[in-house]
Amino acid sequence: MTTPLIYNTVFPSLRDTDTVAEATRRMLENQVSDLPVVDNAGRLLGMFKLERLFAELLPAAATLGDGVPDLAFMSDTIEQLRERMRQIEGAAVHQFLVDPEHVLHPDTSPFEAVLLLYKGTNAIPVVVAEGRELVGMVSARDVLAALQPAGAK
Amino acid sequence: MHGAPGHASAVLFGLSPLWVATLLFVATYLVIMSDKLNRAIVALLGAGLLILVGVLDQKEAMAAVDFNTLGLLLGMMLIVNITRRCGLFQYVAIWSAKKVGASPWGIMLMMSIVTAVFSAFLDNVTTVLLTVPVTLLITEELKVKPYPYLFAQIFASNIGGTATLIGDPPNIMIGSATGLTFNDFAIALTPVIVVIMVATLVPLYFVWGRHLRATDENRRHVMGFNEREAITDPRLLKQSLIIIALVIVGFMLQRQTGIEPATIAVFGAAVLLLLDNLGKDSETQSKNVHGALSEAEWITLMFFLGLFVLVYGIQKAGLIDMMAQGLLKATGGDFNVTALAILWASAVLSAFIDNIPFVATMIPLIKAMAPTFGGDAALLPLWWALSLGACLGGNGTLIGASANLVVAGLAERAGTGFRFVEYLKIAFPLMLISIVLSHVYLYWRYL
Repeated sequence: MTTPLIYNTVFPSLRDTDTVAEATRRMLENQVSDLPVVDNAGRLLGMFKLERLFAELLPAAATLGDGVPDLAFMSDTIEQLRERMRQIEGAAVHQFLVDPEHVLHPDTSPFEAVLLLYKGTNAIPVVVAEGRELVGMVSARDVLAALQPAGAK
Repeated sequence: MHGAPGHASAVLFGLSPLWVATLLFVATYLVIMSDKLNRAIVALLGAGLLILVGVLDQKEAMAAVDFNTLGLLLGMMLIVNITRRCGLFQYVAIWSAKKVGASPWGIMLMMSIVTAVFSAFLDNVTTVLLTVPVTLLITEELKVKPYPYLFAQIFASNIGGTATLIGDPPNIMIGSATGLTFNDFAIALTPVIVVIMVATLVPLYFVWGRHLRATDENRRHVMGFNEREAITDPRLLKQSLIIIALVIVGFMLQRQTGIEPATIAVFGAAVLLLLDNLGKDSETQSKNVHGALSEAEWITLMFFLGLFVLVYGIQKAGLIDMMAQGLLKATGGDFNVTALAILWASAVLSAFIDNIPFVATMIPLIKAMAPTFGGDAALLPLWWALSLGACLGGNGTLIGASANLVVAGLAERAGTGFRFVEYLKIAFPLMLISIVLSHVYLYWRYL
């Protein structure tokens, strides 16, 4: 028998038509680096991740593997990074969607959630098996909160 | 290596060894060409089946493996895997781009030369894996289309690789099978390779080079790169350069010392591993050595291993002799015609099929012609014809050489499409020019 998963049912999310600017504003506001993206019916379409956004800010060659292992030799300034950001912030987030590495279901064991977080996943969407309706998110913060003694929250 | 093959006497169910070996060889070739299965799996399965059905026994199969080729490939892979960590390749690429004032055509020229020179001493795939990302970075900064640059680098890697014994696997195989040394290859092939390189860059200038433009501001971005910052480990850089230089000197002195290239390369790799790990704790040593070993291209090495067994299988069964007689009949036993037929056939076939199994098959075939042409020494022009045809032919199509596919893959990931027909339209005629020049050179110098 599995213990019901403790997940956060109040979480920020994005619509696929939201812009990158809106997404980054929401990331800053909620102090998260991964946001789920849903359609009108609340079904999970994918994730908008800071990692993917950063890849967009870098020269494409830097994300190809060993060829350009570091960029210390570049003399570009923060202004040039901002300029790159300005070029993409009006784009819709659906252009930058990535498949979630993992999804959980409401009845998944909490040990599985902790294992995935231990392996480096930042935030894991929780969906109902049929229809992929997004019902919650699990992050390290949610697990820590759930592990506090009763009355300590 | 094995001795002279005899004919297999019996295989499973009393089938003819010639038919069974031929069938297995052709089936293996077809599956390799179809790209449906990893080529190492196919070659090892084919080799295993040859033993299981009784065409060869395990002792013969092991003796068929050319450990000199495998050792040389492995040794050079290890040296490159360690050296790449220090940033040398990025340094040279950035330095060369700045030397021409970040002019778009100048960079295309310099990156082609750098790629050709690296390819002459390193494996082509490794060379493009290390230099193409820098090209993509520079073209992105210059805001120019990367396609012409990458096209030129594909050609440069295959042309440069042809110049030396260690530049391309077909040359390694030919050198190992014939005893031809690093110097023999350099003296015979480098002159024509320099001419071919120039003859390739001239059309590229007219097709693309003269149209390339970049703004002063974008050029300033590239000129602002500090190549010294690309060097991440100066100590490793010095060690690597010393070892690479010593290994190349070792290759050059092969005839005087009698030391085989595999020994030189593997010993060089071992010394570099030693230098890289001196004074480090055991955990770091294990990590470093594991990293260098695991990044060796084991797929290529296992592919070679299986292939050597497969080719020996058909050689022992008598197919190679039959093919050699067939080729001699087709060329009327004329040496010049045979040499030029090998050059052209190798080039055209290598444009469409993997040149490694092709060369593996051609080596015993050419050796079998020795009695007709007056002994092993007389075969020299045929080896150069095979080398030039098989290595340069790879430029003809996008699937002609592994380096082509690697560049196309990197370009695709960076958002630049490489289409088969688009590539073919310019590449095939350019490849034919290189073969015409090789034809003239062989005829003038050796025939």
